Amino acid sequence: MLLIPVGILIIAALIGLSKAKIVLKIVSTLSAIASVAMIYVGILGFRTTLELKYNLFNSSSLFTSLNWLVFRVDSLSAFFLLILGTLSLCASIYGIKYMEKYFDKEDMRVYTFNYPIFLLTMYLVLICWDLLWFIIFWELMSLFSQFLVAFEQSEEKAVKAAFKYFCMTKAGAEFLVLAVVLIILKATNFNANYSEIATILPTYLSAHLGMLYALTFALLIGFGVKAAMVPFHSWLPDAHPEAPSNVSALLSGIMIKLPIYMLLRFFISFFPLRPEIGIVIAVFGVLTLFFSMMYALLQEDSKRLLAFSSIDNIGYILLPMGAGIYFLANGSQLLGSIALAAALFHTMNHALFKGLLFLTAGSVMYETGTRDLNYLGSLAKKMPATAFAALIGSLAIAGMPPLNGFVSKWMIYISTLSSPATSLFGIIAIFISAVTLGAFVKYFTAIFTKPAVKEIDAKEVPVLMSAPQLLLALLCIAFGIYPFIPLKMISQALGSIGVPLASLVVYPSLVVPKTGSYSPIVIFAFLLVSTLIALLLIPSRGSVMSTWKTGRSEDLNISMPADAYYRDFKEAFNEVYVLGDASKGFVQKVAKIGKMFGTKFEVLSYDLDSMLSLAMILIVVLVAVLGGVGL
Amino acid sequence: MSIIFIAVNLAFALLIAPVIDGFERKIRARLQNRQGPPILQTWWDLIKLFKRPTIEPQDSVNSLYKLTPYMTFTAVLTAYLIIPTLLPSSINFIGDFIVVVYLLGLATLSFVIGAFSSGNPYAQIGSNREISLFMSEELLLAFIIGTIAVIGKSLSFEQLFPLPLRISSALTLILLFIVIYVASARLPFDIAEAEPEIIEGPLIEYSGKHLGLLEYSMFLKRLLLYSLLLNFILPVQNTTRLIGYLIGIIILSVVYSTFEAYYGRFRIDQAVKLMKKLSAIALVVWIIALVGW
Repeated sequence: MLLIPVGILIIAALIGLSKAKIVLKIVSTLSAIASVAMIYVGILGFRTTLELKYNLFNSSSLFTSLNWLVFRVDSLSAFFLLILGTLSLCASIYGIKYMEKYFDKEDMRVYTFNYPIFLLTMYLVLICWDLLWFIIFWELMSLFSQFLVAFEQSEEKAVKAAFKYFCMTKAGAEFLVLAVVLIILKATNFNANYSEIATILPTYLSAHLGMLYALTFALLIGFGVKAAMVPFHSWLPDAHPEAPSNVSALLSGIMIKLPIYMLLRFFISFFPLRPEIGIVIAVFGVLTLFFSMMYALLQEDSKRLLAFSSIDNIGYILLPMGAGIYFLANGSQLLGSIALAAALFHTMNHALFKGLLFLTAGSVMYETGTRDLNYLGSLAKKMPATAFAALIGSLAIAGMPPLNGFVSKWMIYISTLSSPATSLFGIIAIFISAVTLGAFVKYFTAIFTKPAVKEIDAKEVPVLMSAPQLLLALLCIAFGIYPFIPLKMISQALGSIGVPLASLVVYPSLVVPKTGSYSPIVIFAFLLVSTLIALLLIPSRGSVMSTWKTGRSEDLNISMPADAYYRDFKEAFNEVYVLGDASKGFVQKVAKIGKMFGTKFEVLSYDLDSMLSLAMILIVVLVAVLGGVGL
Repeated sequence: MSIIFIAVNLAFALLIAPVIDGFERKIRARLQNRQGPPILQTWWDLIKLFKRPTIEPQDSVNSLYKLTPYMTFTAVLTAYLIIPTLLPSSINFIGDFIVVVYLLGLATLSFVIGAFSSGNPYAQIGSNREISLFMSEELLLAFIIGTIAVIGKSLSFEQLFPLPLRISSALTLILLFIVIYVASARLPFDIAEAEPEIIEGPLIEYSGKHLGLLEYSMFLKRLLLYSLLLNFILPVQNTTRLIGYLIGIIILSVVYSTFEAYYGRFRIDQAVKLMKKLSAIALVVWIIALVGW
């Protein structure tokens, strides 16, 4: 069962090597079928634990654990598999029509080969049960997603963005390799199987705190780069907008969630729970959500705005995750489990609405060929289905009740606000949630309702593109009104990493005893019924008249471009941007110095003698590091 | 029993909210040496608006433009399920502080989306100011929520009404008093509407029933915020609560409308900066609450 999606995706990738036009349709369909299989695997994973073991090499090499290829799906990976399957189903179907517009411009094989492989590697990362194999699949995932980012090879920007993405994630992955090697060498006696690590590592690390902190440092950098945690985020706003929109949906929706999945595995089940580690993660989460959202407010490119908001949502996931670890370590089981559940719930929600929003941005690009928010305008009348989907997505991401974004945000606030140590994090999260609302009012109105600079020729996108959008919008509404299904899955997923979640559900509400309550069903029902009553009592019927133009006969010719939105707010909060730009300048300087050293090194490398001696010194340093940390 | 209480509270709010506005108009008029309209005048205005037909501007996104006034109205109304007005309510499974704040956010959002979809540039300018002010006001409100949560160790109104007597709770309630003033779009903070500059801004194209609904929801929002503040002070389950509540509403109206009568309008940047400064004070109050005073 576990191998069905693997088989389909490999076949799809092989077919994708051909140049014929029909290939796009076949590959997309096969990927969609594989996604359905992934969803099925996910559902099965909640019922039982699926496992597959292969003995690959019969040698007794150094890394015995490489001999065994172990696949295993427990509830946590099943939860992420469901997200991956749902999103890739939508993205694959969407791609059938969307990718057609690239036929004449680009070599389609870059897409048709890499897309299924990219899905495959994400799938493998989720189902593999061995740290060494995880590293291999992880690197492959970075590699193939980078080809997809660079899909538009004629555009210099895309290639540059892909290169930046590749360099940064590669550098991050080195930290992961170091961490994994350290774990395997020092602690687990050449064993990399997750189950065995989970039994050995916590007790070992409790005794060796120095190593725990070293590992935490390495993992936070390694996964932080991939998850685009501030200050390692700078690749994301370049890379995600450049990829084709359905790939952006996957990159933002699920790929940057895989680090979250691994962080949960590491910090909850492999590492002993320490309050200070939780606080560090939460602080990074708050920094991430604060700075990225303040910058999202400035963007004038639709997909770049969405990309910044993806970073913001990573912050909204890291914050409750850190807070959860902190609470669990301090012994408050209830708040800790709610915070972790909020992290998982927000992961799912963000995948749904950000996938949806990237698809709508793609639809707008498909029809108008531009992402420029200053130029776009008044598309709601021409593309009603897309506008509806974008509105639902914007409302959900702004956390408006009764949509799904509110449930997870509510859980974040409930768990963080009432305890003194995390109160400030919750306060900043509430403020940033309001800024998110501002940014998405900008996104929606700039594309769909503000008067355009000049008449834009557009029509509704084909059904194959609007159906995935509507499906995701429907899920946003459904999980908002009835959050009990995802919560049940989340409690099972948390149970599988050893965190029991107390049942929040007191039908028809979510209740945290003595702290808070929210009843999505009652609120939705009341909103609906009272709106209907108001519509009946005060029916809105009237005539169409021309828009008021201060009494002049010709058009007013004033319209507000996207860069004029919230100018006063930006000026008032200028310190944030000064600080952000200063740190950006600092990072650029560091990168420049690194480049200088790189050039020096290159010059040096022509000289064989000094090269060899340098290599020797490096090896000595490496050995010292590997051997010394545990002491 | 408690469902009846909620129904009574809703009916009270629906009936009284415009009367309070009429009362405030009277006070403002007296302070400015005018006779002023009768107290029920706001009701007569609303009824007149509800009788009028509506007009849809040519450039508008029709469905959004027509639906959002209803959404604004019901979002505010829903918050009355959670915050008790006249009678204390014992139902608290529907929502907590966070839910109320977000329902008010939903009201603002749908109001703004409707204005943006009217296609009028003045409405855009006004909505833009509305959101700028909303974001900065939310910073202050976030600190207030945080402080109250620290004081009461909860976000559920069942635990928070009334707040314990402490220095930090008094200071927070003063800040809440200011936020309520800002959120209820009065001079000097009615920057989004600003009749003399941008001709009612977001409301510019709305007429008849839509305009009536939007004004009605603003009155409801004001009463809701008054009740929120009063509930933090008044004792629960007590006969004096009822009298205290009514007196409190009158006092708040008098104080707020006195402020309103004597001020000119802020520019948007002044208002945003003021909110930022107040947030710095709120940070100090939050620290005081953490210390435990």
